[in-house]
Amino acid sequence: MSPTTPWSPNSFTPADPAYFKVKLTTWALTWGLILLVSLIPGVLLATGVSVAPWVAIIPAVLVLVIALLILRILRRQVKALGYLEREEDFVVRSGVMWRKQLVIPYGRMQYVEVNSGPVERRYGLCQLTLNTAGAGATAHVYGLPEAQGQALRERLVAAGEEKML
Amino acid sequence: MNQDENWQRVHPASPFVRGWLAIVGLLYIYWQNTDELSFAERFAGDRLIITVALAGAALLVVLVFYFLSWYFTRYRLTATHVYVNSGTLFRSQKQARIDKVQGIDIAQPLLARVLGLAELRFDVADSSESVLRLAFLSKADAHALRQLILQRAAGQATNEPAASMAEPVPDKPLPLMAKVPATRLLASLFLQLPVVIGTLACVVIVILWLSGIQGIIAAVLPILLSFGSWFYKQLNQGWNYTASASDTGMRISYGLADTRQHSIPAGRVQAISVTAPLLWRLLGWYKVEVNVLGTKNDDLDNLQVLPVGDFESVTRIMGILLPDLGISNQREVLATAVSTGYEHGFIGSPPRAKTLSPGAWKHQGFLATGTTVISRYGWLTRTASFVPHSRVQGTEFRQGPWEQRRQLAGVRLHCAGGNIIGKLHQVDAQIAAEFTLAQAARQVER
Repeated sequence: MSPTTPWSPNSFTPADPAYFKVKLTTWALTWGLILLVSLIPGVLLATGVSVAPWVAIIPAVLVLVIALLILRILRRQVKALGYLEREEDFVVRSGVMWRKQLVIPYGRMQYVEVNSGPVERRYGLCQLTLNTAGAGATAHVYGLPEAQGQALRERLVAAGEEKML
Repeated sequence: MNQDENWQRVHPASPFVRGWLAIVGLLYIYWQNTDELSFAERFAGDRLIITVALAGAALLVVLVFYFLSWYFTRYRLTATHVYVNSGTLFRSQKQARIDKVQGIDIAQPLLARVLGLAELRFDVADSSESVLRLAFLSKADAHALRQLILQRAAGQATNEPAASMAEPVPDKPLPLMAKVPATRLLASLFLQLPVVIGTLACVVIVILWLSGIQGIIAAVLPILLSFGSWFYKQLNQGWNYTASASDTGMRISYGLADTRQHSIPAGRVQAISVTAPLLWRLLGWYKVEVNVLGTKNDDLDNLQVLPVGDFESVTRIMGILLPDLGISNQREVLATAVSTGYEHGFIGSPPRAKTLSPGAWKHQGFLATGTTVISRYGWLTRTASFVPHSRVQGTEFRQGPWEQRRQLAGVRLHCAGGNIIGKLHQVDAQIAAEFTLAQAARQVER
C-alpha cells in the first residue's frame, strides 16, 4: 500500500543519485571521527592505564552499531529527497522514518541561496535553500547538479517576483 | 542646516536620568578617598572649603558634560522621516522612515518615571540594526509625538491599505479591553506547574538545609537564581497590565519597575495562541500570546497580549486582533477552540491515537474556516492556535514512524515573527493529506 501523503512521492524530482556518495563520504568522516574518540579508552587500556574493560568496549560497540544502522537507511534517505515545482508554490519532501512534505508559496519566499560544500563540489552537486520570514518554513533541496541548481534558483526568483503577495 | 528651526531638544533632565550613576560613582570615590575623616570633620573648619570646592568642581564638570550631551541631542520630525542626532565627540545621526515605523514603545525606567519622563523606542521595518531611541521627553510630549507619528505612519503606509485613520483622533482614553489585578497575576503565576514544582523544591531544600546538609545551598543557588529571574520577568510582564483597543489594533502597558507601553497593529499579527496550563483550567483562565512582525520584545519570543484572563477577555482581545474568524457564530466557535469538543466542525484525533497521546488525544483537533486555521494541541498545557491563511509561511505535512503504522499524520503551519505555529496533531493521515492540499490552495489566494 502506498503511503498517504499530500503529493504522490513519484511526482517529485528526485535528488541526483550521486548525492548518495556525498552522504556516504560525510557519513564516513563523521562516524570515523566519533569512532576514533570512542576508542580512546581502549587505547589507554592497551598502553597500560587501568581502565575498566566495559568503559573501553561499550562505547565503541554502541558507536559502531549506530553508524551501521544509519548506513543501512542512507540510500533510502537519499531516495526520499525530492522537490516539486507547482503553479503557485514549491514543495520539498524528505525523510524515511520521519516523512515530511513542506509546501511554500512562491509569494512568501524571501531569498534563495545555492551552496556547495567541498564534498558536494567534488561530485558537481549543490544544495538550494529557500527562506521565508518564518523560521520553520525553510525548504532545503539537496543533491542538485550545479547547472540544475542555478536554473532552479533563477526560476524560483522569477516566480517569487511574479507571485509577490 | 537651513531647516534648523525644526530641530527640537529633548527634556533637559535626560542626561541626568541616563548619567545619574556617574554622580553616584563620583560620590563613592570621594567617600572612599577620605575614609579617615568622620562625617562631621568633612564639613568643619578648613575641610569645609576643600569639600565645597571639590563638590563645586565636580558639579561643574558633570554639568558641562550634561549640558553638552543635552545640547547635541536633537530630534526632528518631517513629513517622511524622524531624525535623531546625538553625541558630543562621536556624533551619530539616525533616521527612520515614518512609513516603515511599525510600532512605537514608550518605556519609563524607574528614575524617569519619578521625574515624569518617557523614552520613545521606534520599531522600524527595514532596519536590521538596533531600534531608534529618543530619550527623554516629558510623558505628555512623548504620547503626543507618538500619536502624531503613528497617524502619519498610518496615513502613508504603502503596505497597509486598511489603515482606518482618516481623521486625527484626539488623545482620549481608549476603551479598556482587559486589566489584570495584582492578586490574579500572583495567583496565576503560582498556579503554574513549574512554579509549583519550584516552590516545593525550595521547601525541600530548606528542610534539607535545616537538617544539616549545608552544601545543598551552593548546589542549587544557580538554579534558584535563574528561577527567580524567570519569575521576576513573568511578574514584570504582567504587573499593572492593561490592554485597550486603539484605532489600528490594541495598546498594552505593563511593568513593575519600568513601565512599558506597546502598540500592536492588528495588521501585523501573524498568529495567536491561547494557552491554559493545567491548574488554570480549573479556574477558566487563559493566556494570550501573539506573533508580531517587527516588534522585537526584549525577552520573550512571543508577545504576551493577555498574561491571564477569563474567556470574556479572550473574546474581546480576539475580536480586536482577529476580527474575522471566517464564521458567523464566532463566540461559540471560540469557546470550542479553547476547550475540548467536536462541535462546529472541529476534527479531532481518531481513537487509534490514544496509545501515542493518552493524555491529549481527546483535546487535539482543528478547524479550517474561511480565513483561519484553528488548531488545538497539548496535554497538561492546552493550546489553541489561530493562524490566518494569509499569514502562513509554509505548510508542512509530517509523519513519524509510529504515526505511519497507525495511519496518522500531523501538519504544521509555520508563521513569522515568533514561535507560535499552527499544529494539527495526530489526525487521520488521509484527512491531514487533504488538509495540506487544501491549505496549499488557500494560502495563495489573494
